[in-house]
Amino acid sequence: MKILDNLLKIFVIVFIAFIYLPAFLVILLSFEKSSSIALPITGFTLDWYIKKPVGYETPAFISLYYDHRFWDALRNSVYVSFATALLTGLLVTACALALRHRVRGRDVLFYVLLLGFIVPGVMMGLGNTFLYSMLGLEKSFWSVVLINVAYIVPFGLILMMARFDPDLMEYEQAAGALKASPLNVFRTITLPLIRWEVISATIFGFLLSWGELIRTQFMLKGTGTLSVFIYTQLSVYPLTPKWYAAGTLISVIAFIGLAIFAFILSRGPRSQ
Amino acid sequence: MNLQEILAKHSKYLLLVPGLIISLFVVIIPLAILIPISFYKYRFPYLIPEFTLDNYVKYLLSERTGTILLNTFGLSTLTCLVCFAVGYPFAYTLAFKIKSPKVRTYITSLLMVPFLIDWSIRTVAWISILGERGLVNYFLITTGLSSTPQKLLFSPIALIIIWLQTYTLFMIFPIYLAMQRIYPDYIWSAQLLRAPPHRVHYEIIFKLSRPGIVTGFIFVFVSTLGDFVTPSLWAGGIQTLGLSIASYAGNYLWPQAAAMSSIMLIITLAALIVLIKVGGIKKLVYER
Repeated sequence: MKILDNLLKIFVIVFIAFIYLPAFLVILLSFEKSSSIALPITGFTLDWYIKKPVGYETPAFISLYYDHRFWDALRNSVYVSFATALLTGLLVTACALALRHRVRGRDVLFYVLLLGFIVPGVMMGLGNTFLYSMLGLEKSFWSVVLINVAYIVPFGLILMMARFDPDLMEYEQAAGALKASPLNVFRTITLPLIRWEVISATIFGFLLSWGELIRTQFMLKGTGTLSVFIYTQLSVYPLTPKWYAAGTLISVIAFIGLAIFAFILSRGPRSQ
Repeated sequence: MNLQEILAKHSKYLLLVPGLIISLFVVIIPLAILIPISFYKYRFPYLIPEFTLDNYVKYLLSERTGTILLNTFGLSTLTCLVCFAVGYPFAYTLAFKIKSPKVRTYITSLLMVPFLIDWSIRTVAWISILGERGLVNYFLITTGLSSTPQKLLFSPIALIIIWLQTYTLFMIFPIYLAMQRIYPDYIWSAQLLRAPPHRVHYEIIFKLSRPGIVTGFIFVFVSTLGDFVTPSLWAGGIQTLGLSIASYAGNYLWPQAAAMSSIMLIITLAALIVLIKVGGIKKLVYER
């Protein structure tokens, strides 16, 4: 059995390596000297990041730093992801707090909330496109955020509710029996106990909306978010290491954002 | 009764209101709209609100639709099976073989991090792995296993590998959640009664993690069903349902896209029923 256990652990490590393989190659090949995506790499350069353009390149050859549309898309992505993350965190918390009680019609309410994840992305995008044109609404920043929130909340809800402390409700009832007001119970008992679940749901919202393409693509307006921008660029222009440089930068920024977020939280007054 | 009491009494429902509103306006109403539109007449670029079955007769009863459905079901089901083959042992190791909660948390967060890389780039990154001058061919040629580069991209196999990397997460998490809920006492008592290991595994761990397994299958299935970007890039010209909806929509053929969508709607509803009746997804979330 010992051998089997070790084999299983090795398997876990190998599979994680497999999941990271594309990311690893993206970073490696973003420093490639030639303009083709091929192994082995021929030389090391930072040209795809910072080279000053001559003036007649196609976007596939303009370095990242000088591609202002890339920066527009990046800014849009950051806004969308932050808004989605905050809304997801709030909604998931509210729904989870309600659904853990035996409220009447709990099952049906839960299934209705679940729909956003079950409905295939392409249908959600198409349906929303029709709805907007029928109502004569303009697609905006918030349409991208809403479609992302509807998609991410169900999965966040499942993750959060499954991780609730089983004794949480007993603590609350004890506090209630001691005549604590509902608001006080929430502030001093519920919130501190579910704090990490709230935070992880928020981060989850950020991560899933950061790269979302299928639903976002239908809600396109202007430059769009990064995923849409790069997808449209790639369908017009050739694939060069520039896009890999973009991928590297995107993930580095997201990593730094997450690290700062985690750092602030770990220094908060309530942290243990 | 004053306002505060009313609020306190119904607080549980009030908490659900924002979530339900979003579900109604972003998911349910848009889906409901697709059905009448699929019966509309169409003269480019206008929809004419007159009843017709043309969209279904012309586009759904053609031979092509059969192939599309077969492709879609085949590819999605295969992906589910591959994801399960990988995700089940992964979740099992995570839940039972790794004792430290810290390491478990690290591994689950490690699984999420690849999502930080942009979707399109995560997808095109596969050129550098499966492409003619990618990692796999580089390995094959330098080790002498093959003298010419193999064509690995633009095939159903490439598609399944890419989907495996993207969506296994949705298989691993539900199974892991279900396994975490299995009381260790059950396993101990079975072992105490000298049940052979394979029976302990099957009768207790496998059977009790079934809600997670069904949920994982459905989650991966619907994710691949709705993903038209990956097949459009790497499937080598194979048509899927999602792809045909997207291409009708891209050409502004709205009623045709809507008609195709209503097939997908039926499949989705079937998936939802499986999730509720067979899987019992609520067991995973709030019923103990």
